[in-house]
Amino acid sequence: MSTPAPVAAIPAVAEFAGVSKWYGPVIGVNDVTLRLGSGITGLVGPNGAGKSTMIKLMTGQLRPSLGHVRVGGLSAWSAAAKSHVGYCPDVDAFYEEMSGRAMVRLLARLHGFGRRAAARRTEEVLDQVGMAARADRPLGSYSKGMRQRIKLAQALVHDPHLIVLDEPLGGVDPIGRVELVELFRQLAAQGKAILISSHVLEEMDKLADRILFICHGRILASGTLAQIREMLQEHPLQVRVGADRPRELAARLLACESVRGVELEPGGALLVQVSRPKSFFAALAGLVVDEAFEVHRLQVSDASTQAVFHYLMDRAGHV
Amino acid sequence: MSDTLSPFLLLAWVSLRRAVRSRQTVVCALLLAFASLAVAAWSLRHGRSTQEFVEQIVLPIYVSFLLPMFSLCYATASIAGDREEQTLVYLLATPLPRPIVFAAKFTAAFCLALLWTLGAWAVLTLLAGADGKAVFRPFCPAVFWSTLAYVSLFHLFSVMLRRATIVGFVYALFLETFLGNMPGIVKRVAISFYTQCLILDAGTKLGLSPTAGHEPALFLPVSGHTAWIVLCLISAALVAASLWVFSRAEYA
Repeated sequence: MSTPAPVAAIPAVAEFAGVSKWYGPVIGVNDVTLRLGSGITGLVGPNGAGKSTMIKLMTGQLRPSLGHVRVGGLSAWSAAAKSHVGYCPDVDAFYEEMSGRAMVRLLARLHGFGRRAAARRTEEVLDQVGMAARADRPLGSYSKGMRQRIKLAQALVHDPHLIVLDEPLGGVDPIGRVELVELFRQLAAQGKAILISSHVLEEMDKLADRILFICHGRILASGTLAQIREMLQEHPLQVRVGADRPRELAARLLACESVRGVELEPGGALLVQVSRPKSFFAALAGLVVDEAFEVHRLQVSDASTQAVFHYLMDRAGHV
Repeated sequence: MSDTLSPFLLLAWVSLRRAVRSRQTVVCALLLAFASLAVAAWSLRHGRSTQEFVEQIVLPIYVSFLLPMFSLCYATASIAGDREEQTLVYLLATPLPRPIVFAAKFTAAFCLALLWTLGAWAVLTLLAGADGKAVFRPFCPAVFWSTLAYVSLFHLFSVMLRRATIVGFVYALFLETFLGNMPGIVKRVAISFYTQCLILDAGTKLGLSPTAGHEPALFLPVSGHTAWIVLCLISAALVAASLWVFSRAEYA
């Protein structure tokens, strides 16, 4: 045996169908239905929202009380489904006496790789996470960032379709973060489905193609950030526009149906409250072309993950 | 089959190596050192006999204390140790079926516990001189089967409880000793009772008193054959129960 049998092409990378999970009388996840495709999906929610439960259900550590969790068409709880999943847990635990290289190689072999294939694959992933030259020391002597990279390496070693990363950038220095974000992007470009749970919401802006907002065990919203932002009609989008004739532009914009209000800021910029962003941007483009407004600044000020998160939490009554 | 055999052997080997380097090994070495001192002191006595060796050393020190302690050290740490260290998640994230993970952990713990119980038995009987030599080989099967039963029992604790070592320690020191010395048939729920029955059965063949200091009317021993069957059945039932629990448990 040199390498494990190739995993058959999978219909949907991961799927939750009417999934609920109770811990005694406490509900962890409440009637969640979702499909996870390739690309990077961010999982965002306050503490106790059900993020960990969702991750543990997806990685087959927990079984749903109701519904089905499938990975690669198989029940996530089954041993076979684990071939499709790479899991980088948030706990900072290892076989401390082992070297990073030995730990990753051990897990490669437990995933079914033969001795040589495991060694080769270990070197590949250590190189991917930037640890190839530093992986021979005992894990107990590693910095937090190095340990994080080894955790990532073991999650990637069997080349899974679904990669579940729980706080993958915790303790990683800024340069390392950039490298790892680039790695996640490369993996997503290869067609991998990546689910990232992170408390650092600013990271999600740069990282995630889609966001799952979760609160009280329910999915509050899912989609791209722009799609979710557009759904929040009671919170008009705030767009800051810097132009050469701000008062005139303000008057013109107020005539647009998609504009709820305009505020002239002390610096001369306009803060526009927009209800339907698409039609607003079309109208603004029309004004710029037809009436020769010179726009030197255009900034959406509250469409970040953080802002959307707060609006959603507000709506869910979670302050 | 070969898809799981190789990871099984690897996991068993890694678990064995980690257990050898664990603090449990230090505890076992200390226990053996104290027991060796006791036996060495006993062997300096004049007019000692094999019967006395069984009554004063084998049953109270080895069977009632060392044997369960060696088994407990490695068996309770087997899976509960990985849970406590939070490393079980890595094993359960692999495509290895859970029964294989359990079997590898069990094999490692059993081999090491057996090494200690048989090794300690050899050391103690060697220190006891001719009296020890006389009983070394005949009592080995009792050591083997009771180690298997204890390791199986403590593995059940290990898959069910996070603090399996503490619970196992309390069980071994109090319940086994207490129940194993109760008059009547209550003692038949204790593994140590069947171990004593195996030892006493083997002792009878050596011309030793069958009850070795116990009052026959109170001890009510079963035959060696029955004791062997019971230990085998207990071990099988406990392993099956542990497998069932481990295969279904959510350790997240």
